Amino acid sequence: MVEAAARRPPASSPSGPLAIRVRRFGEITKEVLRNPTTTIGLVIIASLLLMALMAPIITEANTPDAYQMPRDWGAINEPPGTPGHLLGTTSTGGDVLYGVVWGARTSLRLSVIVVGITMVVGTIMGSIAGFIGGKVDEIIMRLVDVLLAIPELIFALAIAAVLGPSFGNIIFALTVVFWVKYARIIRGQIIHVKHNEYVDSARVIGDSKLNIYRKDVLPNSVTPVVVQATLDMGNIVLVAATLSFIGLAEAGLAEWGVLVSEGQAGISAGRWWASTIPGAMVFLWALAFNLFGDGLRDVLDPRTEGR
Amino acid sequence: MQIREYIIRRVMILPLILVGTSLIVFTLGRVGGNPIAIYLEHEMTPDEVAQIEERYGLNDSLPEQYFAWAGGVLRGDLGYSGVLAAPVMDVLPKRLAATLELSVASAIVAVSLGIALGTFAGARRNRLPDHLTRVFAISGAATPIFWFAIVLLIIFWVNLGWFPVGRSEPEIFESISHPTGVYTLDALLAGSFTAFRDAIWHLILPAVTLGYGATAIITRMMRSSLAEELNEDYVDAARAKGLPERLVLRRHARRNALIPTVTVIGLGFGFLLQGSVVVEIIFIWPGMGRWMADAVLRGDQATIMAYVLFTSILFLVVNLVVDVVYAYLDRRVVLGS
Repeated sequence: MVEAAARRPPASSPSGPLAIRVRRFGEITKEVLRNPTTTIGLVIIASLLLMALMAPIITEANTPDAYQMPRDWGAINEPPGTPGHLLGTTSTGGDVLYGVVWGARTSLRLSVIVVGITMVVGTIMGSIAGFIGGKVDEIIMRLVDVLLAIPELIFALAIAAVLGPSFGNIIFALTVVFWVKYARIIRGQIIHVKHNEYVDSARVIGDSKLNIYRKDVLPNSVTPVVVQATLDMGNIVLVAATLSFIGLAEAGLAEWGVLVSEGQAGISAGRWWASTIPGAMVFLWALAFNLFGDGLRDVLDPRTEGR
Repeated sequence: MQIREYIIRRVMILPLILVGTSLIVFTLGRVGGNPIAIYLEHEMTPDEVAQIEERYGLNDSLPEQYFAWAGGVLRGDLGYSGVLAAPVMDVLPKRLAATLELSVASAIVAVSLGIALGTFAGARRNRLPDHLTRVFAISGAATPIFWFAIVLLIIFWVNLGWFPVGRSEPEIFESISHPTGVYTLDALLAGSFTAFRDAIWHLILPAVTLGYGATAIITRMMRSSLAEELNEDYVDAARAKGLPERLVLRRHARRNALIPTVTVIGLGFGFLLQGSVVVEIIFIWPGMGRWMADAVLRGDQATIMAYVLFTSILFLVVNLVVDVVYAYLDRRVVLGS
């Protein structure tokens, strides 16, 4: 992703474009890592991803569906440290550690799907609006305005609610809500870039519209999209966990919000672990991507400074 | 002149966006399941069901249904709430009062704390307090409010027993009349110190929980805009004439740094609106958010539609006001671009 941002306006250099890209990538990496909070974010992300990928190795996958919590009815409400249940169990005998580990996998799947789809849809819509302009632009941007008029979480909540409780519907609802920002970013960038001299010169030498878009406009619009996508990787898990906490996912799903909701009833009896541990995972996930995204923005876009 | 044009343009667009929003809300009410399912009982005969369908106009074409619904909304008819078994408009004022009370308390927490923390950090750039504040500000946007609420409950309710849950002690609540629906205000009007204390006691924990996210946003904005102001020439001039640093900060830099901070109030308000759903579930607060959550779980479409429509309008108006205020405060803003 950083590689795309490295594509600057065509510059002639003796070392060739590939060498420039490699060097630029190195520079960016170095600069990103110089900020301690960004590095912390990156380390947390790496650990969470590792946990998600190694889920079947860390815990024994539940059959037939590994994303469903296994139930150990012989060990209900066990506190953390119980042999075989390192982080304790829920009131229905679900192993909290299993939920934490497979919850990471659920979150990874969810965020990659939603960010992937919304980024593509948003980029297409924003490109159409920015590049074609006129009536088409007007219609798309009014739609964007309307969608932005409804607070994110409430809109997603309402969509997921009318479709009925299921994690698939949560994913769908988030997709409907989250593409809008990308369209806005891309359109703004295109309009901004379109008037640059190197685009004019490309037009003068007879490049086709599509070619100008592909080679000059798009690469220059990528930076803010990458930053937004990084932040969204965190935010989407946060919003999805909120929706499933409210009760819009299937019960028994190995997902952090579902676990918090299940564990909530036990807190007055002193059983703090079943809700706070999975909740802390949501926090860690969102925090890590926010720290990293924030640092990335500082480096990639020198105009905004947040340090 | 420009500002007037800008306001007029923004206000003119408003109806268009409202129509768009209403179309989305109407679509929401028609895509999922049976819109009248919550009104139906098991013992009803097919004839009775057909009668209800007829009464709610479900046999008309979609455009007819939309206009019937939109016309009703304009006349103040938002349908019948299945979960509360009453017309939406009858229960809305009370629920809104409860949510407003909570939101205003949270806003007080967020604005005062956010400005104080932001000033503190912005004046100490790149030193430890600044780094800590930055982490706090980012973690504010990353904190799942349901988790934060539960952690606070475990500490302050379960273990320390300092604060209660719910909105009131029922006996104390019943002992006074409630003309406004805002408990603290009603207690003051009734001149009852016991009731007022009860109201504040129940308000503190949910208000802090709900205000947390907005506090972080305001802190972050205040910090960066203050740091920026401190680089300006007029600050150097104020220092050069011998003004103590404390006064430079308070009289000059902070005042100007507050202007860009106004822009995040709209964002903060969105945080409060969205957070209220979760906070009201966990703290058993009888407001709009809890009502919506119940409606969501039981498929009460009239309530869902009313809630989305209502909060969107609120959100739009607040954002419009914020933009206009900002335009007034900072004449350098290029309007309408």
